[in-house]
Amino acid sequence: MEGSLNVIGYGISVIGAGIGVGIVFGMGMQAIARQPEARGPLQTNIYIGFALIEALALLGFVLAFAIQ
Amino acid sequence: MSADTLNLAAEGGGGLFTPGGPGFEAPSVGIFFPSPWADYNLPYTGGFNKYVVLLLVATALVALFLWWTARRQSVVPGRSQGIGELTFLFVRDQISRPMMGVKGDKYMPLLLSLFLFVFAMNVMGLIPFLQLPVTSNLSYPAGLAAIVYITFIVVGIRAQGGVAKYFKGAVVPSGAPWWILPILVPIEIISNFLIRPATHAIRVFATMFAGHLLLATFAAAGWYMFNPAAGPLFGTISVLFSGASLLAFIVFTAFELVIMFLQAFVFTLLAALYIGQAQEAH
Repeated sequence: MEGSLNVIGYGISVIGAGIGVGIVFGMGMQAIARQPEARGPLQTNIYIGFALIEALALLGFVLAFAIQ
Repeated sequence: MSADTLNLAAEGGGGLFTPGGPGFEAPSVGIFFPSPWADYNLPYTGGFNKYVVLLLVATALVALFLWWTARRQSVVPGRSQGIGELTFLFVRDQISRPMMGVKGDKYMPLLLSLFLFVFAMNVMGLIPFLQLPVTSNLSYPAGLAAIVYITFIVVGIRAQGGVAKYFKGAVVPSGAPWWILPILVPIEIISNFLIRPATHAIRVFATMFAGHLLLATFAAAGWYMFNPAAGPLFGTISVLFSGASLLAFIVFTAFELVIMFLQAFVFTLLAALYIGQAQEAH
């Protein structure tokens, strides 16, 4: 078998970020459903949370290429 | 697909079902390092390459857009001014106001140009034959993140009235018991002044990098699998496979456009968040 362990490491690092992004958007949808008039600020906060969590997955992606 | 992708795909074109044919070569990281057409002969520079051309195109697009929408200003907006106002109001009401309130309106020039510039640089990845998002090279988002980094530190120092006051407010959380400070302060320093600008730049870079690599893989795979000369049965199968790859390429290109917009939005949103945090007293 050929390949790089880095890819497996990236896959593992993405698990956490995937769960996190799922929670952020799921909870966000729930919050909007409960209080549709608060949609604007909720959406902004959802995207901030999404961006902060996504950084973890992207760091894993970059490091998979950077560390040989 | 980009010229590099074309070259890369041409090498392995029609390899599927060819006995002893070339194996599939997935696009490598090399497509993000185009060879320069002219060298500056300066240390730490990549020379005049495709990225610089696309950067100039993106800059010209943004400048033209702003000139076109702002050249004839009137109380009753015309068509071009309407588009400009729509963009401005989007950035103000979705990014600046929620993060900084009315106080943030004086940073609108920075935020609007950041948003348009990052979006234009991302969209360079969709222009036929040139396809390469400028932000898929870390230097460009890193430069923009450095501008935001310097801006929020200067804004913080001005708003808090003094260098010591600002840095104390930024790294010492108020209300924390004294015995936890030796752990908390280093964490705050690392997260606020080292990780924050790094992730700000890497976020847009890595997304564009991954997205372009994905599109290049679909393009290369579609070309690799296109082999109608392999006989009636295998030829049909290979053309069907190739068509599926082309369909995926088109669908993911549309998906990429959404991601490009989202990343430009998030980049500007975080810039506004950082400036807003520096502005308010701790």
